[in-house]
Amino acid sequence: MAQYALVIDLNTCVGCHACATNCKEWNTQAAFGPLSDYDPYGRHPSGVWYNRIMSYEIGEFPNTQVFHLPKSCLHCQDAPCVPVCPTGASYKREQDGIVLVNYDDCIGCKLCSWSCPYGCREYDEADKVMKKCTLCIDRVYDETLPPEHRKPACVLTCPARARFFGDIEDPESEVFKAIEERNGFVLFPDMGTNPGNHYLARTETKINLEEFEKHILKPDNPLFLEVMKRHHVSNKSAETTVEEVG
Amino acid sequence: MHPPISLIVFFLTAGTSIGLFIFTYFIEFLTLFGKGSGLPKEVVLVSGIISLVLIGIGAFAASFHLGHKLRAWKAIKRFRTSWLSREAVFSGAYGFTLLIYLFLMYYEINPFFEHFFGILTFIIGILSGFSTAMIYATNKFVLEWNTSLTVLYYLDMYLMLGSALFTIMSLYYGLPYTGTFVFLTFLFVALGFGFRLAFNIRQFYLKRPTLNEALNLPHNRTIRVLDTGSTTENYCTTEFYYRKGKELLSTTLPISYLLTFIVPLILILYAWITGTVNLYIFWTVYLSLLVGSAVERWTFFVEGNHVQNLFYGLYPEEGYKLRKGFMERKETRISLYN
Repeated sequence: MAQYALVIDLNTCVGCHACATNCKEWNTQAAFGPLSDYDPYGRHPSGVWYNRIMSYEIGEFPNTQVFHLPKSCLHCQDAPCVPVCPTGASYKREQDGIVLVNYDDCIGCKLCSWSCPYGCREYDEADKVMKKCTLCIDRVYDETLPPEHRKPACVLTCPARARFFGDIEDPESEVFKAIEERNGFVLFPDMGTNPGNHYLARTETKINLEEFEKHILKPDNPLFLEVMKRHHVSNKSAETTVEEVG
Repeated sequence: MHPPISLIVFFLTAGTSIGLFIFTYFIEFLTLFGKGSGLPKEVVLVSGIISLVLIGIGAFAASFHLGHKLRAWKAIKRFRTSWLSREAVFSGAYGFTLLIYLFLMYYEINPFFEHFFGILTFIIGILSGFSTAMIYATNKFVLEWNTSLTVLYYLDMYLMLGSALFTIMSLYYGLPYTGTFVFLTFLFVALGFGFRLAFNIRQFYLKRPTLNEALNLPHNRTIRVLDTGSTTENYCTTEFYYRKGKELLSTTLPISYLLTFIVPLILILYAWITGTVNLYIFWTVYLSLLVGSAVERWTFFVEGNHVQNLFYGLYPEEGYKLRKGFMERKETRISLYN
């Protein structure tokens, strides 16, 4: 059975929030919107977001690393939010595994959000229904769009190309290969939810600064003159300041 | 978890309603086997009408928990999988069968149908309470609730409220069951005390997940939350973490114990020992139980920690902390060299 999902590369995600912003922009005016805002220009702005980006620091000072975790609905294969829904408004599509909410049936009891260990469902106080990531189903199946644009808004907008979309059960898909080759992992594996969205692990990147300096300060480097010029100008301005103070 | 007032009102009204009916009908049921003398028709009717009104108030109050009240009927659709759906069906059916029972009772149409609907209401009432408790007990993401103690305690609370009110009715109408119900009230309050204590003690020994487990990282890595993506509160931080409630928990927990268990137990013991079983004492017992249960339910919600709080750094780390240095589980390290 097909399972559409996102694969997010934590190695390249820079935590710029572009995915969350574009998600909000697209979905607030598309088929599953709006994503209501409360007090948007006041002191305590808040609202409904399908996608939130968390930042974590790992390790102990000075050996620390920061990574960003974009978290939207994981479209679990054993979604615990679906069976608890008393009206059947929350459902998982058989053809592509996307978990959706039928706003016309939702009574706003919030029980599905209590049954999500990831906190990926948000209650819309204005519409009085539960809302969640739809994997931009209205884009994915929109035949009026060019084929390369039939992807979720967050995937298309990611400037670091950290997000991939596809069928994680299809061995030919880009996401299946990414998960296989780079040991894709899921959040909260012990909860028995079997999430669709996967993350690609962050690998430690080391830059040898000595090598870098040697290269950049070589006279045959086309940037050499520019580097020296900037260095000269900054030194000169520093001297001028000292003279003025003196 | 954020405590919804509407659900607390539902608990109190539905609890008293179902509890009261269980005892009222049970006495009637015993007459089928020639045990006891049953209840006067007036008592059954008054008790039944109180139960009916209370379940009506409860259903009305519970609807305030819903975003779309007029769609509430749709909650019958997923009876097969959802405990909330089962609760809605059983609560509705309880009110309906109770109404029929009272109608048959009032007009004395047919004793077979009267008892048939009485037994049906009795069973559906228990199933309704059981389904409500199961909504909390089956939520494996709130570890404090995910235990059979939640169900046992919940049903015991129904019987506690019901027996206390039935004792008042027994005293008011001068029924021969006062002694039995004084004992039953004492028994259910004492049992509830035991279940609630076990519920709280269990929280010390919970194996809580960590942020490392949530993020699927090795357990030996130090990790901390830097930023949660928004500068203000959002649905996840307000619904699953009630900051004000957590601050008040160290006050409300002792109050709930005092009003729900200690005061009623002492009053019943006093009445028992001195033989002063009167309406004043049992109205005080019932009101203390009612207020105490309201505070206790509020505390029950606030005590629940949802695992999604891990992502926001709002999940308790180890053990059960009420207040710094007070009722705090301390890790003892034993070393040979220090």
